Amino acid sequence: MTISRPHSQFPWLKSRFRAVAGPWNRIGMQTKFYGNTLRSIHYAFTYYRIELIRLIAQMGLGAGALIIIGGTVAIVGFLTVTTGALVAVQGYTDFSEIGVEALTGFASAFFNVRLIAPATTAVALSATIGAGATAQLGAMRINEEIDALEVMGIRSVAYLASTRVVAGLLVVIPLYCVGVIAAFWAAKFGTTFIYGQSTGVYDHYFRTFLNPTDLMWSFIQCVVLAVVIMLVHTYYGYTARGGPAGVGEAVGRAVRTSLILAAFVLVMMSLAVYGQSGNFNLAG
Amino acid sequence: MFVGGIGAYGGEENAKEDPVMVASNVIAKPVRGVGGFYAMALDTFVAMVKPPFAWREFISQSWFVARVSIVPTLMLTIPYTVLLTFTFNILLTEFGAADFSGTGAALGTVRQIGPIVTVLVVAGAGATAMCADLGARTIREELDALRVMGVNPIQALVVPRVLAATLVSLALSATVILVGLAGAYLFCVYIQHVSPGAFAAGLTLIIGAADVTIALLKAALFGLSAGMIACYKGISVGGGPAGVGNAVNETVVFTFMALFAINVVATAVAVKVTM
Repeated sequence: MTISRPHSQFPWLKSRFRAVAGPWNRIGMQTKFYGNTLRSIHYAFTYYRIELIRLIAQMGLGAGALIIIGGTVAIVGFLTVTTGALVAVQGYTDFSEIGVEALTGFASAFFNVRLIAPATTAVALSATIGAGATAQLGAMRINEEIDALEVMGIRSVAYLASTRVVAGLLVVIPLYCVGVIAAFWAAKFGTTFIYGQSTGVYDHYFRTFLNPTDLMWSFIQCVVLAVVIMLVHTYYGYTARGGPAGVGEAVGRAVRTSLILAAFVLVMMSLAVYGQSGNFNLAG
Repeated sequence: MFVGGIGAYGGEENAKEDPVMVASNVIAKPVRGVGGFYAMALDTFVAMVKPPFAWREFISQSWFVARVSIVPTLMLTIPYTVLLTFTFNILLTEFGAADFSGTGAALGTVRQIGPIVTVLVVAGAGATAMCADLGARTIREELDALRVMGVNPIQALVVPRVLAATLVSLALSATVILVGLAGAYLFCVYIQHVSPGAFAAGLTLIIGAADVTIALLKAALFGLSAGMIACYKGISVGGGPAGVGNAVNETVVFTFMALFAINVVATAVAVKVTM
């Protein structure tokens, strides 16, 4: 696009400055949006309760074609079943190389809780309810429905973004439980049924090393991740532009950003919680 | 030669408001989706070996996917490897075998983190953009225009995209493994004070050339299926602008599900092969 305009002073310097300042401005705008969303949560509870309940129902079950394959619960369950099965496949074979395949139950209790369940749940959340929220909000934005809301005097951030963040926060609680149980079950099924380890041996090591405190921390990690993911996804949906393709690109960008942020949050929280000591005793 | 008509792969449906039809649609829709996907996949494989090959589109798509994927790849690999090495080292320290942290890092990076991160990035970055692009073209009826002009959209648009996704994820997984090992090295040596020599010596204890080959093969397989799913969802979009957003959402979900499932099967096969 070439627009003729009067010759400006220091064009190189100005364009350099814009190139440097642009990303910083974007970060600032995002932070402002996140602050706005979190601050408006009380409006969601006082004024938009019906919308909130509708969103919770919709997120739990999924929308559109996703409902046919069982909704969000089924997708989270499926992803964690596959990663739990991975623990069985990889753990059993690696441990049996050094003759301690009895410890597969320990691997399930240790790695599933600390690493795999939160990471997989984050991925699943971002793909299902996160990407869904971006697609919905993006479509609303390019159809100018969000502007219409503003004109009608409805607080669009509270009505659209805050309600979704709260709904995500509430929906992740049962989803995480489903995910962890599915991962445990898949690891046990793979080890005992397919590789033929006795269930007594598996259960003994699994129960010995399953630490309730770890499980609590992993749960808290998931709740924090859900909030981060929903914030990122609502931002990209709320600010989508550029027609139908723009909505699709916004979904992609939101998935990328939320996955990266989720990974960083997970690492930081793990380092903070487990620290150098590791909060772990093999000898019991 | 097959040049599909409007909604050749079950994209546009004329749903009737008859309750029996609606009920049968609920059952038939996923089945029709699977059938449409297989039909497109077969057409794509046939078109792959049939000249003319769309070189320009292939190169520009490869460049595009590589460009959107490289930064997320690096940003995702580093935290995941640090997390894995950290968790693994807790265990190893407890055994008194912290010197073997290199083995743990190699095991985790080559066997799981490499393919999984490649999956996440190719699906999250490459496939979504492809689906959005193709979906927007579909609802603007550009694909129909191509068919009218006698150009097969599968050959002109889908084949180069699928091959580009395959090639780039192959290259990405190599990058992920290298970056992951470098990250694990820095984390172990400078933060957890493992001696560098012991780390390097432990790297190849369990993981050998066979594992690396399998990791690369897995990544190529992932790229192929992610590209396929993205293109299928893209060319079967219906329902205007909201439809494109939903199609991208479904692409993400279906690619993640397909890839996680493929990963388990591929890992089980790989374990048998390398034993």
